[in-house]
Amino acid sequence: MQNYLPKTKLFLLGLALLLASSLTLQAQSREVTGTVISGEDDLPLPGVSILVKGTTRGAVTDIDGSYGISLQPSDQTIVFSFVGFDSQEVTVNNQSTIDITLNPDMQALSEVVVVGYGEQKKETITGSVATVKGSELVKSPAMNLTNSIAGRMSGVIAVNRSGEPGYDGAGIRIRGSNTLGNNDALIVIDGIPARAGGIDRLNPNDIETISVLKDASAAIYGARAANGVILVTTKRGKKGKPELTYQFNQGFAQPTVIPELSDAAQYGEMLNDLNVYELPANEWRSATDAYRSTGTYLNQAGQERTAPFSPEALAQHRAGTDPWNYPDTDWYGETLKPWSPQTRHNLQLNGGSENLRYMTSLGYQNQDAYYKNSATGYKQYDMRINLDAKINEYVDLQLGVLARQEYRFFPTRSAGAIFRMQMRGKPHEPAYWPDGRPGPDIENGENPVVITTNATGYDRDTRNYFQTNGALNIKIPGVEGLKFQGTGAIDNLSRFQKRWETPWILYQKGNGFEADGVTPLLVPSERGPAEPRLRQTNINQLNILLGGVFTYEKQFGDHGFTALAGVNKETVEGDNFFAYRRFFISPAIDQMFAGGDAEKDNGGGAFERARLNYFGRVAYNYQEKYLFEFLWRYDGSYIFPEATRFGFFPGVMAGWVVSEENFWKNNITAMDFFKIRGSWGQMGNDQIFFGGSLQEYQFLSTYGFRSQILEGTEAKTLFETRVPNNAITWEIANNSNVGVEGQLLQGKIFFELDYFYNKRTNILWRKNASVPESSGLASLLPAENIGEVENQGFDFNIGYRGQEGDFTYSVSANGGYAINNILFWDEPPGAPDWQLSTGKPMNTPSPVYLYDGVFPNQAAIDAEELNYSDITNNLRPGDMRFKDYDGDGSITPLDRVRLDRNNIPRFQGGVNLNATFRNWDLAVLFQGAAGAIAQVSLGESGNIGNYLLEFYENRWTIDNESTEYPRIANRSDQYYSNGNDFWFRSSDYIRLKNFEIGYTVPQQFGERFGISNLRFYANGLNLLTWDKLKVYDPESDNATGQYYPQARVINAGLSVTF
Amino acid sequence: MMKNIKYLGLGLAISFLNLSCNEEFLNTQPLGEVSESAVWKDAGLAEAFVTDLYRGLGQGGFSEQALASLTDEAIFTHPGRNITTVTEARSNPQEPGWMDFTRSWPNLYSGLRAANIAIENLSDPQFPNDGGILDRLMGEATFMRAYFHHQLLRNFGGIPIADRPFTLEEDTYELSRNSYEEVVNFILTDLDNAASLLAGKDLVGGRADETAALALKSRVLIYAASDLHDMPTASAKSSVISGYQNKELIGYSSGSQTDRYQQAAAAAKAVLDMASGNMLDLTEPLPREEAIQTYINNSLSRNGGEQEMIFGRYFLAQRPETGGRHGLHNGPNGYNNWAGNTPVQLLIDDYHMMDGSDFDWDNDVQASAPYENREPRFYATFLYEGAQWKPRSSANQARDPLGQIQTGTYEVVNNEGQKVTHFGLDTRNSPIEDWNGSYTGYYIRKFIEPDLNFVDQNTWQEIPWPHIRVTEAVFNYAEANIALGNDEEARNWLNKIRFRAGLPAVTASGDELMEILINEKRKEMVNEEHRYYDARRWMIAPETLGRQPDGINIVGTLKPGKEVAIYSYNTDNYDYSYEIIDIDPGKEKRLWLDKMYFMPIDFDEMQRNRELIQNPGYDN
Repeated sequence: MQNYLPKTKLFLLGLALLLASSLTLQAQSREVTGTVISGEDDLPLPGVSILVKGTTRGAVTDIDGSYGISLQPSDQTIVFSFVGFDSQEVTVNNQSTIDITLNPDMQALSEVVVVGYGEQKKETITGSVATVKGSELVKSPAMNLTNSIAGRMSGVIAVNRSGEPGYDGAGIRIRGSNTLGNNDALIVIDGIPARAGGIDRLNPNDIETISVLKDASAAIYGARAANGVILVTTKRGKKGKPELTYQFNQGFAQPTVIPELSDAAQYGEMLNDLNVYELPANEWRSATDAYRSTGTYLNQAGQERTAPFSPEALAQHRAGTDPWNYPDTDWYGETLKPWSPQTRHNLQLNGGSENLRYMTSLGYQNQDAYYKNSATGYKQYDMRINLDAKINEYVDLQLGVLARQEYRFFPTRSAGAIFRMQMRGKPHEPAYWPDGRPGPDIENGENPVVITTNATGYDRDTRNYFQTNGALNIKIPGVEGLKFQGTGAIDNLSRFQKRWETPWILYQKGNGFEADGVTPLLVPSERGPAEPRLRQTNINQLNILLGGVFTYEKQFGDHGFTALAGVNKETVEGDNFFAYRRFFISPAIDQMFAGGDAEKDNGGGAFERARLNYFGRVAYNYQEKYLFEFLWRYDGSYIFPEATRFGFFPGVMAGWVVSEENFWKNNITAMDFFKIRGSWGQMGNDQIFFGGSLQEYQFLSTYGFRSQILEGTEAKTLFETRVPNNAITWEIANNSNVGVEGQLLQGKIFFELDYFYNKRTNILWRKNASVPESSGLASLLPAENIGEVENQGFDFNIGYRGQEGDFTYSVSANGGYAINNILFWDEPPGAPDWQLSTGKPMNTPSPVYLYDGVFPNQAAIDAEELNYSDITNNLRPGDMRFKDYDGDGSITPLDRVRLDRNNIPRFQGGVNLNATFRNWDLAVLFQGAAGAIAQVSLGESGNIGNYLLEFYENRWTIDNESTEYPRIANRSDQYYSNGNDFWFRSSDYIRLKNFEIGYTVPQQFGERFGISNLRFYANGLNLLTWDKLKVYDPESDNATGQYYPQARVINAGLSVTF
Repeated sequence: MMKNIKYLGLGLAISFLNLSCNEEFLNTQPLGEVSESAVWKDAGLAEAFVTDLYRGLGQGGFSEQALASLTDEAIFTHPGRNITTVTEARSNPQEPGWMDFTRSWPNLYSGLRAANIAIENLSDPQFPNDGGILDRLMGEATFMRAYFHHQLLRNFGGIPIADRPFTLEEDTYELSRNSYEEVVNFILTDLDNAASLLAGKDLVGGRADETAALALKSRVLIYAASDLHDMPTASAKSSVISGYQNKELIGYSSGSQTDRYQQAAAAAKAVLDMASGNMLDLTEPLPREEAIQTYINNSLSRNGGEQEMIFGRYFLAQRPETGGRHGLHNGPNGYNNWAGNTPVQLLIDDYHMMDGSDFDWDNDVQASAPYENREPRFYATFLYEGAQWKPRSSANQARDPLGQIQTGTYEVVNNEGQKVTHFGLDTRNSPIEDWNGSYTGYYIRKFIEPDLNFVDQNTWQEIPWPHIRVTEAVFNYAEANIALGNDEEARNWLNKIRFRAGLPAVTASGDELMEILINEKRKEMVNEEHRYYDARRWMIAPETLGRQPDGINIVGTLKPGKEVAIYSYNTDNYDYSYEIIDIDPGKEKRLWLDKMYFMPIDFDEMQRNRELIQNPGYDN
């Protein structure tokens, strides 16, 4: 909040500049005219863009290649550019006619692409590599970089599961899932793999490009490359005068979807229904009628039952005129504000001389949570310095320094607990009393309007990253093309957590009234912990990488040759420590010393990790027409025993630029460029994951520590952590890829299409499903290299770039489809085929009954021929019908069927539209996903929580004998409450992921203030969504809505360069 | 310069090559673990391993869901825990229903493996037996192996015996079930060994000692002697059992039931010769208040009640565990607790009057004041309408300044002078967390911290769970003696329990005496995980566990001329009516089928081990 003032000032400054632009006087001008022809065929070139350098003023050649442009006295240089041709700059001097020949630029087909340990020209790349530029990523107002990636790179699937500040990253999968174990890609930042902090919190303004190695091109990263590699390259200094850019963003976020829930009267009706459903079914009609008319019912046993909600109470809640006694609470509305601010400032200085270049960047971001009076938020300070020093003709030095503080803060109740209470919050109970004091808890002291604030204490998490990487490059004299690079990186993470829990106060109605005789008396009550308590945790981690690489690169006539070999040594050391006290002398002092001695606690631990790798690449090409590359890594990891520690991971790739062949050139003129390429590689995965955590030392017979309480004492105990597997080794990825890429009409149209087939073998998995539990080994079995999974699919990228006068535009579409299939893993024997997961995609839900409608009434039950006695001994109207899959006349657990979809989309893609018109620019990204299912569950709906409106409106009732929706259940108390496919829905969606519109202020206005570029823009994230899930965000995987929803963001910003 | 750079490059390259040649640094260690070989060379580490075996006891019986709710002691309040799968006799190999950690097949076999590792390593000791440490550790491990086997045996019948730790190199893991008799004998051998190894060892509570070994032996033998495991008797009572082809898996088809009772009697007597319990030497009934307090002491294991404990699972407030949340899990909703397992009326009605006579709903005096003049254990065990309990939370004290349980519906007079209905704070119509209200109108008090300052909602209690206590051996001894026709000896011991409970001596004999024992044990050992097994092995489950649970409907009507604004239990102001209500079938609809005598073996486990034979009454 404290940033508003400077922000406002800046905004006013920007506005002033904008106004100034319209007041500028017309200066004296002169005309330059001429013709542009193509150097390829000497024909005129229409559509060539002519721009006055350093301005946005320009012209375009007409059909005859002619142009005319008026210049101002200060204009010195004009630039001719056209897609697929080399640009030319011409100093005007006193010329009034300038004719130009533009030469085709084969290089310009594409840019240079960062690959493992090097760069390659896109046209000679033989692997499948997707790229995105940092300049694209900054168009998104997302506070977490991973959310800017979805829809921008083919074959890269990003799914955002939560919008909580500090934990709002998207899970990234390259070409879907390939293993039963860990599917995370390796992230390499400026050449250093697996840096602490990853990609999420990188400042997008610092990023030059991101490359994703999707196939064997990742093999040079060996044992960590199996799931693909994401290479992030940060910006480096450019030669020239210091250029200072300041960028400011002010955004506002809100949930994409807030679940629609029942109101107080609707909820009351349903609680009455639930009460009735406890009775024998033949009494439902009379009980319902009695509840509606009098609110009491005399049952057949002669006992009086009272409806939870009398007809009068329902009427009162519906009317909403007595908030003291009959509230109608919108819990989401009470807890969340309409828009939550987020801010980002960035200052970047770039420049340098021939011998020293620099890129420095300072960033700040501040993100608030959706809550009113929010105690949750995220702040980040980051700094990056990239230096390039040329020491002499042979030696240069690169240095990169990153310092970043990530500060996450929360109340002591988690977002899960808070949103659980949003879904549970009963609409007939007050969030606040009419006098403004907070109402009672929903349970356990949890009232969301209070537990979202700092009334509960706080939970603060500060992570400080200090990362340095340096590279010393030496051209070896005397051997042309031979270079040596020595690399070092020292990354330090220190993390400090402080959790201070205090009791809080809620108010509930007491007996009687205030002095006025009307206002009910409210009684305060203390909730939460009995007294304050404090836990502090320190975590330290040090990653060190040392490495050296020889590179030899030389052209022998038509033969291009590159060879590279290197070695890396990596170590990671970590340790942690915590202390805990309670019984503080006062809740006012949140310092450890002020806690009591009783029950104080502390603990700690440490770990170490190490890797040693050798790697290399040999590439050869003939006339850049026939391309061949071999890459490898010989990788050693501490995860495995000495004998199986090292693995060799090769990749081979080949390409043929068919369009370079004469038969093509002579016949197919429309297509300027066409390449066929293929690759095969074998990569490893050493990330053995079970239950979401890395399992190290599976080959060691070691015992772990824990404890057991004996009378009056806690005894340390030791337990067998596993039965070791001495033969444990790599998971192996066999990845094949074939692709084509091409360009038409001088690059106006480009396309790229890949098919891949990945087979993962040696997947580390436990045989605990097939070994009898009576062996006693079930929970101790080691990971063995037994699993096999195949994954195949395609990805594509196709686009068109065009220009009409001042209007330039591009359209591109990308997408990736991947479907995996378990070939082998360990699964209990003897299960029927339709329940097996082998032969189906990974991570499908447990087998479920197949929904077959609903019994509308007793007559339907009486007519039922299937035997339901295995799942209920009391079939009643509104119960769900299931399919008798095995046809034995009975509904038994064997009728459950395994579905073939899971919660990861099989297809994800995006459509990018970019356009500029004079000073305006526009970027639009539509993104979509398909092929996943999401579960919608009644969860805690019932007498402890509210129902989705959808269920209120459609449920079976005695008056609505639905054959589609079942009777409502009290949580999961009915056999159909879960475990059948009624509760799974398609989560396919298309959304307007990004939208940005910008305006660049004409240069002459800024010049007065020393401004070389000034741009205003507005953008948004997740602005519109079309989906089938409806009730929650389609990227959600929380069946009950008990999570922090994804964000929609609108944002305005400006960028000014001096 | 060129030369220098050449050397620099070369030097760097060499240093990197050098760096890469040393691979020693790859041998990192798990810094939080200790190697297996070191453990068995060090008495302290070996002890730590053996101590870990007790983790197989889980939370004792203090899980949120209690075994009581699978019996006619209680029902479980909350939906969706697969408890009705069992109580409605829907268990099957794919969906057996709720199984606590302490009864679960995989967890028990994991425990057996750990015990076998300890036994194997301690058999070939690598540290000296200083102070008898080796014997003690071996004794504890052997006891735990017996305990885990006994737990499998009483839930599943005969099971594959785990007599050694299996390795990854076994030819097969498909072991067939040992007969019931073989498992019993294996357990008895272990317990005899354990008892002799542990003899004379004074151990901290929570560890097994000699008495524990003898007491477990007593239990295993009385179970083995019971009707359910005597195949001729069981077959006569159940067609499911008589039709079962593999009777050796669930009981004895040969031998004499009388012999087995004799062994059981001897084993129980051995326990009673060693352990005196708490106040089991009385010759006449304790006065009412003392009897109440003694029962509370025994269930809280304090103020002398510690003497009752033979083998317990302990808890510490500063190490929060589920077992310390018993008050939260079961206490009244009006105290912000969850009322998970609530006593049923069937149980309440089995408590005697103070003079030892039966309670009778047909007796108008008793029916109009059912909570008056009941035997002392009633008051130490339950919370019921009007029972004095702890202060309510500060916010709720205005509604009930006295801290008394409210399980009824009452007339009160509002500030406009009108009679309106006040729903008891501890009911399902309560203004406080009504979804946690009891369906039965009762709450359990036993095992809940009674300290008035102790708030169950946010504090962890330190009451231990009694896996075995002395009184159980008394019942075992009395039961065996009744079976053997030694009624006098049985009465003698039963009366010790009754005197302690403030009840007069019994004089009955034969079947009638057994009925009294059944009733006495039901009350004395309520909610201690006995009823579930006892009702089965006595084969009284069909007419006990199969009954539909019930509760009480209490209405308080203001007496003429009385005006009460804030309700409290008071017979001067109110006329109370008490009416038994059946639990609605939509909530729970109990059913007994004879397959429920034994739990089914899991479907997947049957598939993994084709040598296994399923228990009677389950199709596969």
